[in-house]
Amino acid sequence: MDYPIWNVAMGGGVLMAWVAITHVIVSHFAIGGGLIIVITETLAVKRSDPELRELARRSSLVLILVSTVFGAISGVGIWVVAGLISPGAISALIHNYVWGWAIEWVFFILEIVAALVYYTTWDKISKGAHLLVGWLYFIGAYFSLVVINGIITFMLTPGGWLESHAFWDGFFNPTYWPSLVLRTGIVVLMAVAFMLWPAFKASPDRRPDLVRYLGWWFLGGVFVSYAGYRWWEAVLPDTVTALFLGEAPTLAGLAATRSFTLWSLTLGLAVTVVALLLAPKLARGLTAILLMVGAFGFFGGYERLREGTRKPFLIHSHLFSNGLLVSQIDEINARGIAAHSGWVAAGDPAPEAFGGRIFVAQCASCHTIDGYQSIREALPTVADMELVAADQPSGMGAVHYREQCSRCHGDIEYQEMAEMMPTLEEIREDPEFIRELNLGMITMTLVELRDMGEEFADFEPGKQFDMRTLDRSYMPPFVGTEEEVEALALYLASLDRGETDVVATGGEK
Amino acid sequence: MNTDLIPALDAAGMPGPPWLFHFLLVFTFFLHLIFMNLTLGGTLMAFVANLRGGGRTADPNAVLAKRLMGVNTYAISLAITTGVAPLLFVQVLYQQYFYSGTILLGWIWFNMLVLLMIGYYAAYLHKKFRGPWLGVSALTFFGIAMTHVAVHLIHVQPEKWARFDANALAVLGDPTYWPRLLHFVLAAITFAALVAAWWAVRRARAGVDVEVNTAIAATAWRWGLWSTVLIMVDGFILLGVLPKPVLLGVMRGGLATLGPLTISILFGVGLLMMLARAKNPVENPGLVSGTLAALTLTIAVMTVTRHQVRVLYLDPFTSQFHPTIVPQWGNFILFALLLVAGLATVFWMIRRVLTSPAEGDEAA
Ligand code: HEC
Ligand code: HEC
Repeated sequence: MDYPIWNVAMGGGVLMAWVAITHVIVSHFAIGGGLIIVITETLAVKRSDPELRELARRSSLVLILVSTVFGAISGVGIWVVAGLISPGAISALIHNYVWGWAIEWVFFILEIVAALVYYTTWDKISKGAHLLVGWLYFIGAYFSLVVINGIITFMLTPGGWLESHAFWDGFFNPTYWPSLVLRTGIVVLMAVAFMLWPAFKASPDRRPDLVRYLGWWFLGGVFVSYAGYRWWEAVLPDTVTALFLGEAPTLAGLAATRSFTLWSLTLGLAVTVVALLLAPKLARGLTAILLMVGAFGFFGGYERLREGTRKPFLIHSHLFSNGLLVSQIDEINARGIAAHSGWVAAGDPAPEAFGGRIFVAQCASCHTIDGYQSIREALPTVADMELVAADQPSGMGAVHYREQCSRCHGDIEYQEMAEMMPTLEEIREDPEFIRELNLGMITMTLVELRDMGEEFADFEPGKQFDMRTLDRSYMPPFVGTEEEVEALALYLASLDRGETDVVATGGEK
Repeated sequence: MNTDLIPALDAAGMPGPPWLFHFLLVFTFFLHLIFMNLTLGGTLMAFVANLRGGGRTADPNAVLAKRLMGVNTYAISLAITTGVAPLLFVQVLYQQYFYSGTILLGWIWFNMLVLLMIGYYAAYLHKKFRGPWLGVSALTFFGIAMTHVAVHLIHVQPEKWARFDANALAVLGDPTYWPRLLHFVLAAITFAALVAAWWAVRRARAGVDVEVNTAIAATAWRWGLWSTVLIMVDGFILLGVLPKPVLLGVMRGGLATLGPLTISILFGVGLLMMLARAKNPVENPGLVSGTLAALTLTIAVMTVTRHQVRVLYLDPFTSQFHPTIVPQWGNFILFALLLVAGLATVFWMIRRVLTSPAEGDEAA
């Protein structure tokens, strides 16, 4: 929060999502591809089957072109983007887990060198030596996963680390093993989804064979990843599963994501059984695309679920995704965010501009002005008030109310509000008064967000928090002094006047 | 010094003593430089050689270009792989400055990834289709070098952050920017040139395409000679435009700073003499290997000097922060053991590969 801010119109989170999605797909493919390719080659050598060997060879071209470069660059990309959009958060992760990453790097070297050698030496060295290189590639790739899995799972379920802050307590956390099984299944799914394409290039009489062969792999991948997924759900703390499981999940969106995840896997399973195993002759480009949709849907859904249940933390119960530590809440409330960050303090001292810098420091990692999770949309405006009050055509008032107001007024019915709020004439006559009313609403909302911070003191330290007890469990609290609440409220209220980008970062003279 | 804009130290503390991270940062950065030099220097040289070769496949210049780009397939991947480690360690030691620097550059820093991607695939397209791709590749790698020098100069000068915040491109006006950039680019060219010369000499001595290889060795050698001349000139200019306190710091640092600097200057002069001595490198293979080894050593020593210069730039700021140290010795030892085992495996694998030619019917 005390770093300068990179203001991306599209939203840092959206950019991160794009980079991360590409990276996880490619990197899991690189691992699973390694496994299937080298086993395929082993079988081909044993059975002296040139077509099977050709499949391994063709796939290894994709592997090298896509994974050693695209995978590596997008992996670096995750760091680059994280450093740009949430430097405090990524710094905290690195300061705790640098040796984990350093170890991953060793396996990464092995993986990359082996991949380059494997690809270049087809038919140039003895078959035994070539297989050896292939296995070393797979070992390097898989152990990268073994290491990074510890860090990723730590972020959602830090387990004993919250109390001890000991590396291995966080590494072998409650979701470590289930997640490793799940990802082991996923790497196979990703690899098959890609390898079907080179398999289609085989001679027509061998094609069905190869397709069925890959079908068995996919089937295995489905079972392993389903088992891993259920195990993962089973070991998650109840406070986390309650967010998306059961009669009344706290976050309905995540519950839908979960159904999507499992239905995607079902789709993949159905396509495999029908078009890869029973009637491999039918397999076409469309089959491969459907399989990819199923596999990516499952994987993407799971990742979304993992991220969604972790929000608003980067490290659950320890560090928020905007870089605020739970342990800093009281101190910043007392001294102010300006005292904490030179970038917020420096620049135009007028309250509105100051508030703009506070927004950037605390809120902009999740909210854009008008794009993804638009803050302007989330706040009441004079136009919103008019629409609700006008109720034109009749019934639309209630609709607008549900869309524009009920996220904060969930406890008030439309009818009740209609009686309480100013009429359309009053609004038109005196929009300034409405602006004042809106400013009041925004200020009160920020006060609530600030009060929410105090509730963190009630949680049992060293244990994973039950975020359901909070009103706005998807957001970090606001931290700062009362004066800063007012400045931020003024800034947020000013958005209704149409200024798009009054945000001035610190230091500008 | 005013530290208002500098973020706080990370609350988690440092998972090992600072000297260890300084060492790892410098050491892994040196590894990165080796492959980065091959990539950047090799592509720039290949671009020129390719033009001079004028599409005649047997022309030594064309063969040289092809060879350099052949090496590049691997060098790019390895430059990325070895670049990951210094990127990791710099975030442990200098996160306050490094992240701030990258954020002030914003999209320019992000676009480095895009350039990298374009550069790599353009190199691949060049091999398949020729056309303008080699130029694209050379341009993107040069752009990446520019980005790195920019982020470096921004992160070491927190006193200028407010200015860079208003306009990040102001860094191009920093007196050290162009000399510094040139210093790295020329060194990359020298390194790639000497590797190319060394390989051509080996081939020629082995009796393979003697005429072409002799010509390539001579050309590459001349590249090496002239870029070293320029590096020396540029190096003294760079020294001259360094901010006063930094230069004074180097001069007053005693053996610790003057040692490496003097050694690298002496090595530079030595390199020049060696490069100027051989008219036909093929006749003097020992000198060629010696020159390449000396250059590699110079780069290693220069990596130390570069790091010391950063330390001096940042000293007025870093001296006001006192990180807590929470060493994780066990994990470090595990890393060190795995690193040794990993590198040993890589070497063992490569030896196995080099000593296991395809048998009879397997050979393609
Ligand atoms: C960790 C990400 C995150 C951060 C940081 C964050 N928010 Fe939110 N905010 C959300 C999410 C998620 C929602 C719900 C959006 C939805 O329902 O569509 C939300 C909703 C809101 C709403 C709508 C009312 C509501 O409760 O749903 C307001 C107002 C709001 N945020 C203001 C802020 C302000 C002010 C800050 C900075 C102090 C901030 N947010 C920081 C994630 C965040
Ligand atoms: C970002 C959250 C938020 C949104 C969105 C929001 N409000 Fe409010 N509103 C508040 C808060 C907080 C209060 C103050 C409640 C209090 O004083 O207890 C408030 C108060 C009011 C009041 C005054 C009630 C009173 O006690 O006098 C009215 C009227 C009102 N809102 C109408 C609306 C309408 C209509 C909309 C939709 C256009 C809307 N609000 C959207 C947060 C919000």
